[in-house]
Amino acid sequence: MVEKYDALVIGGGVAGMESALVLADAGYKVLLVEKSPSIGGKMAELSKVFPTTDCAGCIISPKIAATSKHPNIKMMTYSEVKEIYKEDEGKFKVKVLKRPRYIDEDACIGCQRCEYACPVLVPDEYNYGLVARKAAYIYFAMASPRIAQIDLDNCILCGRCERVCPTEAVNFLQQPEELEFEVKAVILATGFKPFDAALKTEYGYGKYPNVIHALEMERLLAPSRPYNAVLRPSDGKIPDKVAWVLCVGSRDKSLGNPICSRVCCMYSAKQAILFSAAQLLADLTVYYMDIRAFGKGFEEFYNMAEDMGIRFVKGKVAKIEETENNNLIVRVENFETGEIEEEEYDMVVLAIGLLANSDVIKVFKNVNVELDPYGFINQFDVNANPVLTNVKGVFVAGCASGPKDIPDSIVEAGAAAAQCIDYLYELGYKISKVETAEPEGVVSGK
Amino acid sequence: MVNDRIGVYICHCGGNISDVVDVYKVVEAVKDMPEVAVAREYMFMCSDPGQKLIEDDIKNYNLNGVVVASCSPHLHELTFRGAVQRGGLNPYLFEQINIREHSAWVHKHEPEAATEKAIRLVRSGIAKVSLARELSTIRVDMEPKVLVVGAGIAGIRAALDLAKADVEVYLVEKQPFIGGRVAQGYGAYPSGRMGSEIIKELIEELKKEESKIKLFTNAEIKSLGGTIGKFHVVVQVNPRYVVGNCSNFNDAIEKCPIEVPDEFNYGLTKRKAIYYPYEGAYPELPVIDMENCNKCGECVKICGGAINLEQEAETVEFDVSTIVLATGFNPYEPKEGEFGYKQFEGVITLPVFERLMALSNGKLTYNGKEVKEIAFIYCVGSREKDGEHEYCSRYCCTATLNASLAALEKYNDLRIYHIYRDIRAYGKYERYYEEAGKKGELFLRYVPEEPPVVEKEGDKLIVKVKDQLTFGEEIELPVDMVVLSVGMEPRNEDVFQMLRVPFSRDGFLQEIHPKIRPVETAIGGVLICGTCQAPRDTVETTASASAVAAKTETYTLKGYTELEPFIAEVDAEKCTGCGDCVPECPTEAIELKEVAGGEKKAFINEVLCIGCGACGGICPEEAINLRGYRYDQLRKMIDAMVEEV
Amino acid sequence: MAEENFKPKILIFAAEMAYRAADMAGLTKSEYPSTTYIVRIPCASLLRPELILYAFQKGFDGVFVASSGPDCPFMGEKCVDKTAKRVEKAYELLKEHGIEGERLVLSGVCSTCVETIVGKTEELEKTLEELGPIKKS
Repeated sequence: MVEKYDALVIGGGVAGMESALVLADAGYKVLLVEKSPSIGGKMAELSKVFPTTDCAGCIISPKIAATSKHPNIKMMTYSEVKEIYKEDEGKFKVKVLKRPRYIDEDACIGCQRCEYACPVLVPDEYNYGLVARKAAYIYFAMASPRIAQIDLDNCILCGRCERVCPTEAVNFLQQPEELEFEVKAVILATGFKPFDAALKTEYGYGKYPNVIHALEMERLLAPSRPYNAVLRPSDGKIPDKVAWVLCVGSRDKSLGNPICSRVCCMYSAKQAILFSAAQLLADLTVYYMDIRAFGKGFEEFYNMAEDMGIRFVKGKVAKIEETENNNLIVRVENFETGEIEEEEYDMVVLAIGLLANSDVIKVFKNVNVELDPYGFINQFDVNANPVLTNVKGVFVAGCASGPKDIPDSIVEAGAAAAQCIDYLYELGYKISKVETAEPEGVVSGK
Repeated sequence: MVNDRIGVYICHCGGNISDVVDVYKVVEAVKDMPEVAVAREYMFMCSDPGQKLIEDDIKNYNLNGVVVASCSPHLHELTFRGAVQRGGLNPYLFEQINIREHSAWVHKHEPEAATEKAIRLVRSGIAKVSLARELSTIRVDMEPKVLVVGAGIAGIRAALDLAKADVEVYLVEKQPFIGGRVAQGYGAYPSGRMGSEIIKELIEELKKEESKIKLFTNAEIKSLGGTIGKFHVVVQVNPRYVVGNCSNFNDAIEKCPIEVPDEFNYGLTKRKAIYYPYEGAYPELPVIDMENCNKCGECVKICGGAINLEQEAETVEFDVSTIVLATGFNPYEPKEGEFGYKQFEGVITLPVFERLMALSNGKLTYNGKEVKEIAFIYCVGSREKDGEHEYCSRYCCTATLNASLAALEKYNDLRIYHIYRDIRAYGKYERYYEEAGKKGELFLRYVPEEPPVVEKEGDKLIVKVKDQLTFGEEIELPVDMVVLSVGMEPRNEDVFQMLRVPFSRDGFLQEIHPKIRPVETAIGGVLICGTCQAPRDTVETTASASAVAAKTETYTLKGYTELEPFIAEVDAEKCTGCGDCVPECPTEAIELKEVAGGEKKAFINEVLCIGCGACGGICPEEAINLRGYRYDQLRKMIDAMVEEV
Repeated sequence: MAEENFKPKILIFAAEMAYRAADMAGLTKSEYPSTTYIVRIPCASLLRPELILYAFQKGFDGVFVASSGPDCPFMGEKCVDKTAKRVEKAYELLKEHGIEGERLVLSGVCSTCVETIVGKTEELEKTLEELGPIKKS
């Protein structure tokens, strides 16, 4: 028998989790499929979030917890949707590939003993290679499910993990599994791809160690950060003169992305604020084209950054060069003075943009989900109903339809859930109150 | 009974707390208290493993109380209650103590004092929990009935989405017609479609849901009472004076002798006293503006029974379980003389410009004169750092670029200048900025310290601007029209006062949390969407309206919600039946009832009680306590806080 | 007269909106005296005058009743009157017990009134520094 769900949500980032939670709270059964080993998405990598400077972990961890505990949500991590056939309205056949963790998921208790025992060190992708991880590891501290996995590409098959595991969960013979499901509707919440900073060759990312990109800076600023301080990569020194260069891979036709990424101005201001709070005397400069502080509380946040002494310079950075001691010379055309200026920094952060991550459309085998000119999922009725795609029964939320910030993504995720519910109702799949009105764990009092 | 096996958890909040407060010292200071069974610190208490820690400890240590010292309970009280409950303990044997917002963040330069304070606060939490009792939530039935206030694009979207999920909607609009500001606008970005067309399509959908959406136009909310699950709504439907259908309304409108400025067109045109604002307006019946009607009866002669000039206001009452506020914004009205507004002819605001475009075909004319050169001035009534509106109004940059491009397409030989601060054409809207540049529209940048100046010279307006893009060159632009790109201002509606919804610092309505609960307000069952919450464009507005529908459906489809158990409770032994508490209650939840023996005692209606505790405050005998905030708990908290550290 | 190193202990009873303001004080990184202790209550009308007296008797040098003012989510403007009555009675009790009335302040604090909660606390601290520590009973 093929397992049936009311909705399939592809992507377990903040948008996908929100859509799944709303549908599940309303009483629908949801299948949530996430590619990476844990749900949480990009937000789980961030330090603190603008404009409230709440720590990202504090906001997302309860959502992660609620998603993984919800009785109406089946969560599949480290899994990929491979095929979707729309057989009829309200009937999508779905194939999901579950990749092997080489760990029995039901047996693993997340004790990390395998991780401690593993002798292999490889760069940790969650921390953008800033630190190392083991070949047997848990993806990150807040990961959910909290299950270890073995990275067989780097594993030396020494068997230490197997020996220390208290529940005999290690299984090197585990195979990928293909599972079939039937769902009534699909929500695409596949998020974005960060721009590859190395493509902007003038800025020397990948060549100069102290040019880092913004997501790396997020990890350096995060509460769960690798070194408990922002250190520059070349020599581990605390930088006291840092520049942010905005619009790297955004608003740049030559690199194929003409649009603005919506979040870089604000996250750069935030990073500068966070950095400045730890390093009061640091000399911080943000090079921008336009400061786009447009959302609720954003302008006030930008004003606060300026008041804290962070310098905002309207200018275009033409080139970054390295000095002998790995400092960086930023060559900038200052739009306010018209001068070409050069300034030396200890570290430069590239505010990389958000690109489309729409490979998911390829899994639709007999319908065509349209893209917009920038490669994002096209919003079919953008003004009146922004979460519809051109395919009935397929909805889109969050950065899958264009770059956006966390509040906007969350709101859209709720909207996608609403449209999904309406679609199910139209097809006659209504929530029966008798079924769901059971008190869910209501605690009896005295 | 004292709970004497309490688990205490001090959160680092990933440094937010532990960078200031010495969390290890806090653990040391409380771990040996007689009521404490276990005390720990942890990086993120709210994370999955953090919560698991509590669950496991409850079982392993057989805990009978939990204290978590972390951020504000407004963020994570529910999270931790969930963990406590999963651990098998009553979730109200728990207290969250705020050592982030109330200690680490406000005393960051005094780490020692902040630590001492945290210790005292945590001890007070332990004191409170030691006397806590098990409580259970109160279940409230949620009938699928919702009031939506405002029938602009947000209200319509929300009403439609709800109706499609079988929710009965009462959609109340102040104006005689629905569609709000989107219907009034010119082309909407990014679809490029006319605002009125977008609204028309939504209206077609609305008609299909007529059986579930009760629409009241020309209607005001007179009173609103009650709480989540049962709000009582009184609506006054003002007379339309057009009470039935007639095939000759157009003749009647033509015959009407009264002409007044048409507010839909911001006075650019005139309308009659009986009118439709625009073609395709909904409801399809015209309305008579009685303030200006002279009751000459010309329209009655044509339409007969369809018109009743003596129609009176009606009052409608109904109950709903939740309320959606979609009351929208006001465009900022510049002050007289602000960039020449109301001082020189030809200085108008962006919404007026959009109507002007809708009305001018062939040539763009204003007051009979052709307009060839236009300067748009940005950020009027927005981004005033020390002024009235510190916030950015978000939509105006793109809306202005969009309008200028539409003008360029519609009229020949226009020359357009944009005088801006930052062009905030965010995301995909960048293309409007790019296209305007390509089409030869010119951009000049000003800084707020030196704003542009508008003067009049002959029949031209002169805009003087110190252009930053040419490094401060003083440029004079002779133009025919200056369009002020005005921001959005919050409205202040009577319903906000009736419901006591909180405002943000910018004056718009405040959500509980922009990321955790973005469409709910502090008032249970009152949700917000669209521009009453913050400046937004139509895309973001309709998304938020759908999100509100989804949130509402999580209640109504399930059929119930659960309320906090913090209600008042009478100690019948102490109660003397004096009755002082009865008038003190804001919801009339207390009644004196005779008990056996003829004595009178106070009784509390659990559903009506909202948990303010006023009755307890007035009671001369301390016979009434508010559950969760009992006086013995508060006294023990005080004791714990003054004890030396 | 003020004593050396005297840091007055202040108890703040914070009703719903005032508690939010205190949260916002944190969010906006405001600072105020560190020997202040916030007790969360739903509405200030819950406060019994005897409880206020109790705080002084136990050793608090000052008490700040931070009500929600007319923004009270329970009863709106009615809250102002009700709370004022409680505090008035508390003043009488303080007088009876020989405690200076200046040690007790009442203010309505809206959910965004950071300046009010910070300002009133600082003011009270100054007053208390002048008055010196409370005599313990």
